[in-house]
Amino acid sequence: MEDDQEAGGEEYLFKVVLIGDSAVGKSNLLSRFARNEFDQHSKATIGVEFQTQAVEIDGKEIKAQIWDTAGQERFRAVTSAYYRGAVGALIVYDISRKTTFESVKRWIDELTTHCDTTVARMLVGNKCDLENIRDVSVEEGKEFAEQEGLFFMETSALDSTNVQTAFEIVIREIYNNVSRKILNSDSYKAELTVNRVSLVKNGNDKQSHLSCCSR
Amino acid sequence: MYGTQSKRDLSLEFQSQIPILRPSIHARRANLTVKFQDLYGFTVEGNVDDVNVLNEVREKVRKQGRVWWALEASKGANWYLQPSIAEGIALKSSLKFSSLANAITLKRLIRKGIPPVLRPKVWFSLSGAAKKKSTVPDSYYNDLTKAVEGKVTPATRQIDHDLPRTFPGHPWLDTPEGHATLRRVLVGYSFRDSDVGYCQGLNYVAALLLLVMKTEEDAFWMLAVLLENVLVNDCYTNNLSGCHVEQRVFKDLLTQKCPRIATHLEALEFDVSLVATEWFLCLFSKSLPSETTLRVWDVLFYEGAKVLFHVALAIFKMKEEELLITHHVGDVINILHKTTHHLFDPDELLTVAFDKIGSMTTNTISKQRKKQEPAVMAELDQRLRRLNSLKVDENEN
Repeated sequence: MEDDQEAGGEEYLFKVVLIGDSAVGKSNLLSRFARNEFDQHSKATIGVEFQTQAVEIDGKEIKAQIWDTAGQERFRAVTSAYYRGAVGALIVYDISRKTTFESVKRWIDELTTHCDTTVARMLVGNKCDLENIRDVSVEEGKEFAEQEGLFFMETSALDSTNVQTAFEIVIREIYNNVSRKILNSDSYKAELTVNRVSLVKNGNDKQSHLSCCSR
Repeated sequence: MYGTQSKRDLSLEFQSQIPILRPSIHARRANLTVKFQDLYGFTVEGNVDDVNVLNEVREKVRKQGRVWWALEASKGANWYLQPSIAEGIALKSSLKFSSLANAITLKRLIRKGIPPVLRPKVWFSLSGAAKKKSTVPDSYYNDLTKAVEGKVTPATRQIDHDLPRTFPGHPWLDTPEGHATLRRVLVGYSFRDSDVGYCQGLNYVAALLLLVMKTEEDAFWMLAVLLENVLVNDCYTNNLSGCHVEQRVFKDLLTQKCPRIATHLEALEFDVSLVATEWFLCLFSKSLPSETTLRVWDVLFYEGAKVLFHVALAIFKMKEEELLITHHVGDVINILHKTTHHLFDPDELLTVAFDKIGSMTTNTISKQRKKQEPAVMAELDQRLRRLNSLKVDENEN
C-alpha cells in the first residue's frame, strides 16, 4: 500500500506503548516526540491514541508507532489489545508525585503478563522541569531501573528535555533486539513479520552501548 | 444557586449569537480548515463542507422544533411527559390504544431529535431521573455536596486531575466556575456510589449533561439514572467488568450485522475494544460532535443502552468499503477516529443506526450479556492470578 521500498526491501514498523499512572504526561510525551508540540490543554485520554514517527537508526528509516491510553488503575484490565504486538514500552511516572513512581512496579507486571517477547523497556521520570517540587530523586529512579533492568531517563515534555533521546534509545534497542533475534530464531522472525516488521537479512549487530542516563 | 444561572445565560448566548457561517469563495477553493464554535460552544475544526453541514443541521433543528410545537398544540402541552407514554416502550402490551399510538409517535419523534430547548425537560422525565429524584428529600443534593465538601479520596484526587482536562478551551466548562460545578457533581456522585467512585470518562459525560440540563442538580440526577438504570451494571466499577461485557457483545453483534467487516478485522487482529471502550464509557461524547452526541443521547434516554450498539455498529457500517481495504490495525483506528470527529450530521448516523442495522431488542441483548458474563469474569480472574503469580515469584527471589 505504500511507496516502493528502497533496495533491500526493509520496512520497519515498531509498536511502542506508553504506560503509567493518570496525568503523568504520557499524551504530551507523545505529542512532543511526534509533532514537537506541548498542549497545555490536552484532554484526558480514555481510549487509544497513537502517532507514527519516522526515526533514522544506522542509516535506516524506522517507523515508530507510539500508543497512548488511559492511566487510571481500573483501565489496566481493559487493555490487552493495547499491548498486542508491542516491542517497546515507556513506563512513565511524574517526578513530582511519589505515588506515580510507586505504581511503576505494577505497570511492569502488567506489561509482563501481556507481552511474551523481549520488549525494550525504559523507565521515564517525566516533568523534570518541576525541580522545585520534586518528590522522587534521580537516584531513586536510576536505582529502580537498574534493579529491574530498564533503561532510565528523566524527561520534560514541557521543555523537551530528553524526549527525543528517550524514544530513540528505546527504538534503537528494539532494532538491536530484532537484529539479534533474527540470527537465531525463525519463530521470532515469523512472529514479527505478522506485525509488519520485515527484518534485516544479514543483520550484524554492534551491540552499541548507551551512555549518560541509560543503563 | 451554585452559579448555574450565569452558566445558562452563557450557553444560551452562544446559541443566539453565533452567526451562520458563510464561507467565502476563497475558502471554498482552498478547502481550508476552519475553526468555529458549535451550538454548545465547543471549538470545532473542520473544512468548508463541515461548516455547511452544521448550518444545515441548525436549520433542521429549527424545523424539528416546529414539529414539536405543532404536536403540542394538537395533543396538549407536555403530552409526551405523561407516565403512560413515557414508559410506553417498556409496557407496550398494557397500553391503551391511544397511549400506544402516542408512544409510537414519540419514539419516531425522538429519533428525529428533541429540540435543544426541550431537552432538559424531556430527558429528565423520560430517563426516569425525575422519578429517582422524587424518592428522596428535596434537600438531598444540597446535603450531599455539603457533607462531602473538603473530603479527599482517590476519587476526588483523580477528579481534580481531570477537571482541567475535560473539554479544555470550552468557554464555560473550562473556567473556575465550570470546574467547580463539574467537581461538585462528580465528587457528589463518587460518594453516592462508592463502588463506582469516579471513573475516567464520566467527566465528559457529566460535563455535557451540565451544558444541557437547566441546573447542576438535574445534571447530577441524570448522571445517577444513567449509571443506575439506563446503562448496564458495573460499566464504571473498579474492573470495568460491565464495559468488558459490552465489548464482547458488541464484537458478536458486529459479526452478525457486518460479517464482512468482522472477518476482515479479525484477520488484522483488530479488537473492537481499541475504539469502543471510549465510545461506551464516554457515551460518544469524546468522539462525536456535540449535537450528534446529544441526538444519540435523546434516543438513549428513551430506548435504553441498546442504542449504543446501534450507533457503534453504524459507525463501522458507514465506512465498510474503506475498512475492508485496510492492512493494519492503525489504519482502522485512524479511519474510525476521523469518521467520528466529522459526523456533523446526526441524521446521517442515526438513519444508518436504526434503518440499516435493523432491529435489536433489549431482550436479545440482555441474553447476549448473560452469555458473555462468565467469560469476562474468568478472564479478569485469570489476569489477577497471573499478576499474583508474578508477585509470588518476586517475593521468592
